[in-house]
Amino acid sequence: MFGPLGPSLAPQIRASRSLTKWLKPFATWYANLAGYRQLGFKYDDLLVEERPDVQRALSRLTPQQGYDRIFRIKRASQASVVHKPLPKDQWIKPEEDIRYLKPHVVEVAKEDSERQAWDHIVVAKK
Amino acid sequence: MLASKASAARSISRIARSYATAIDTAGLKVAAVDPSQPTAAVTVVVKAGSRYETKPGVAHALKNFAFKSTAKRTALGTIRESELYGGVLSASHSREHLALTAEFLRGDEEFFVDVLTSFITSGKFTRHEFEEYVQPVVESESHAATSDPSTHAIEVAHALAFRSGLGSSLFASPHSSITASDIKSYAASAFSKGNIAVIGSGIDQSSLAKLVEKALASASTSSAPTTTASSYFGGETRLEAHSGAQTVFVGFGAAGAPTPELATLAAHLSTQSSVKWSKGLSPIAASIPHGSSVQSVYLPYSDATLFGYLIQSSTPSGVTEAGKIAIKALKDATSAGGLKADDIKRAVAKAKFAAASAVDSREGLAALVGSKILSGSEASLDATFASLDKVNGAGVSKLASSLIASKPTYVAIGDVRALPYADELGL
Repeated sequence: MFGPLGPSLAPQIRASRSLTKWLKPFATWYANLAGYRQLGFKYDDLLVEERPDVQRALSRLTPQQGYDRIFRIKRASQASVVHKPLPKDQWIKPEEDIRYLKPHVVEVAKEDSERQAWDHIVVAKK
Repeated sequence: MLASKASAARSISRIARSYATAIDTAGLKVAAVDPSQPTAAVTVVVKAGSRYETKPGVAHALKNFAFKSTAKRTALGTIRESELYGGVLSASHSREHLALTAEFLRGDEEFFVDVLTSFITSGKFTRHEFEEYVQPVVESESHAATSDPSTHAIEVAHALAFRSGLGSSLFASPHSSITASDIKSYAASAFSKGNIAVIGSGIDQSSLAKLVEKALASASTSSAPTTTASSYFGGETRLEAHSGAQTVFVGFGAAGAPTPELATLAAHLSTQSSVKWSKGLSPIAASIPHGSSVQSVYLPYSDATLFGYLIQSSTPSGVTEAGKIAIKALKDATSAGGLKADDIKRAVAKAKFAAASAVDSREGLAALVGSKILSGSEASLDATFASLDKVNGAGVSKLASSLIASKPTYVAIGDVRALPYADELGL
């Protein structure tokens, strides 16, 4: 329910200019505080992947995106083993932290709900 | 009996004539016929067969991309909605054309024309659909084609006979590097207005034209993919295969529009008997050894023809023996004495029946009419019959001797150490 794939107010906030202006510094501060960028992760690397829809979305990444993701996960595991964040030049910069996986997850979820709808459709005679 | 024959001929020509009135609406060619069947069908024929492809296998992949997601509905939505209407969607491709067909109950044409045209105008060609649904089917079809020696032999024969253009294979190679964007750009150029013909059966022509015109108003008018005019080369190749029958294809090609003489010769040499369980009167079928088969292959295209024999047997020696007999029959046809007047009469009748029965089925009719109206010629059986009526023995034997003199296309598939070479069959 909660988490990166749960409901979010972000689209509404992004739609309003003044809200964005007010909340953006907090968002930036929070994202930096969370510390995943210091371990070389992008936000979408944190999505729970033990779900069929995310697995399907992962299979839709380009080969390059897939290799890069595995590389980031391995690098972060090593950083975790040595109990140290990465050297500063390897941190993920805010502009690199793009949602590369979420659009695919959303698309898969849409397909699943469409399948649900077709499976339970009630046909009425015109 | 004669009267019924004459009336059958009349009704055939009536169908052909009513088809021939292809109207050109806003750059689109639309034809319709009512064969008074309880179901209706719409076929969209596009000049996007393998001879036009920009990258090997892209035409085959495009065929398998048919009815995937478009701007209007997803692939799943297309299938489920068609199921609710009880329709059947199918796609097929040849060396010249891609045909998308929807068969449905009368009255549902609005939905099915929309399904067909939305793929033409707004197919999405997404990468994930290509990888998840299209590529596995392309691979398995290619694999099935390569494992069937007769299909494989004819594919290889086309490559030898025509090299590029008509020579490009119908099937993508199993390790091809086609991507979704290749297919998208090929589709974008192929699905242009002048390149599309819509053929309806069981639908009123004017209502079909209206539906198609509205739906395809946004189709592009860009230039369609082109191909070079075919020329015949010929050659010989031998391929090792460990399963399936021992197969040899001996063929001859001719550039230029298909001639009635060649159709007659193919009918004369065809071993297909008119009565089940009999060997027929063919000069070949009676004498070939038991367990081997000889099929005459006649493949007419818009600007070339491939004609030949497909000789199959369980053993290489059977292929050699049957091949010698088949080549001898062709050589016999080169001399005027080898073809009696009765033979010619019989062959012409057989060729006429083959031409007429080809348009009996819905697919055959759509393919023939589609190709005719796309090439701008008149689609009717009358012209074919009239040209076959003019065939005489001298013309056929002249054609046969010119074929024998040309370089043959020879493909052997199976045990290559034991299968015969072309000269061993008497060529």
